[in-house]
Amino acid sequence: MPAYKLTYFNVRGRGELIRLLFAAGEIPYEDVRIESDNWPELKPKTPMGQVPILEVDGEVICQSMAIARFVAREAGLLGKTHLDQARADMLLDGGIDVGKLFEEMVMEKDASKKAEKKKEFGEKTLPPFLALYEGFAGDNGYFVGYSLTWSDIAFFNMMDFITAEFPSALDGYCNLTKVIKIVKRVPGIAKWLKERPITDN
Amino acid sequence: MPAYKLTYFNARGRAEPIRLLFAAAGIKYEDARIEGADWPALKPKTPMGYLPILEVDGTTLCESTAIARFVAKRAGLVGKDDLQQAKADMIVDGMKDILKKLILMVLEKDEIKKEELKTDISEKTLPEFLSKYENLANPSGFFVGDSLSWVDVTFYNLIERVRAMFPGDHLKGKPNLVKVMANVKANPGIAKWVKERPESAF
Repeated sequence: MPAYKLTYFNVRGRGELIRLLFAAGEIPYEDVRIESDNWPELKPKTPMGQVPILEVDGEVICQSMAIARFVAREAGLLGKTHLDQARADMLLDGGIDVGKLFEEMVMEKDASKKAEKKKEFGEKTLPPFLALYEGFAGDNGYFVGYSLTWSDIAFFNMMDFITAEFPSALDGYCNLTKVIKIVKRVPGIAKWLKERPITDN
Repeated sequence: MPAYKLTYFNARGRAEPIRLLFAAAGIKYEDARIEGADWPALKPKTPMGYLPILEVDGTTLCESTAIARFVAKRAGLVGKDDLQQAKADMIVDGMKDILKKLILMVLEKDEIKKEELKTDISEKTLPEFLSKYENLANPSGFFVGDSLSWVDVTFYNLIERVRAMFPGDHLKGKPNLVKVMANVKANPGIAKWVKERPESAF
């Protein structure tokens, strides 16, 4: 049984999808959270000067999506066929731009710019994205095929961040609401959501 | 044998890594290139409103990296085990940032801003990126394991794009990366494709 060591800051951020996937697969791992003060020393030891990193079998993997895909595979949540897997990849990649815009809005320090960005996101960016993804989610509550894959969990994670700012975002989206419900009920995830450290983002 | 139909504009752009992978593996596919005028009619029929798309086994995929990874799997060019595949993913993903900067620079209309972005890329971003990637490639000229994978092909395509915008010997003093480029060019399917592919502006 390989030892997995995940290193990231003490935030959900780009590490949380990985943690959710470990939880869903009930795979034990070391969840290392570093202080910003310790980062300059660690940075040159990482493959590309960034975290999260995953240490496994003497290798260091960076790039949060590459790590997430690896853990999803270990957890049996990648998708059954190559085509299913490609579909999951496509749905994940399709959400990245929206995720980035949301991040930019949250990180905006200027209060009036932030309000502007929030309005733009809530009125222009989010609705077409959710409408599109409502169509992608099956009415059984899965994005790919007829069983849970990491694309469902990734969507849950993204909406976990977004609904903190837009609580009623998923109102009226039946399929997407089902996806969220199913993910929350996965035993490993239900446990993690109860126990995980509370962080601002 | 499934039929593959790749649809994109008449350009290398985001489709070229996919075409190179089909070529490397010797997999036949329909290389559909549409005119700009035909795009508005096609757009609503695509999964997310953009190209490239790949039609296969009665389904349509979008997102160029997702398609490339899928073709690489079918071609046996992803890496031998899950750890190699993760390394491959990581190295491919790491190329996205510099590609984004290149595209932003190309699209910048303000001449002064454009020059600033160009200088930033050629003096800072590109050298840093190439240093990192020299360390990620092995002395045999492969990024993952000891044989050609989709990472090498994707890297080759990126450098070709960079060279088109920033002429110069960027790989000087980077023997591992020079070998990667040579390994990709030496693949018979890729060598043939590069000779025969349609000319396009980008």
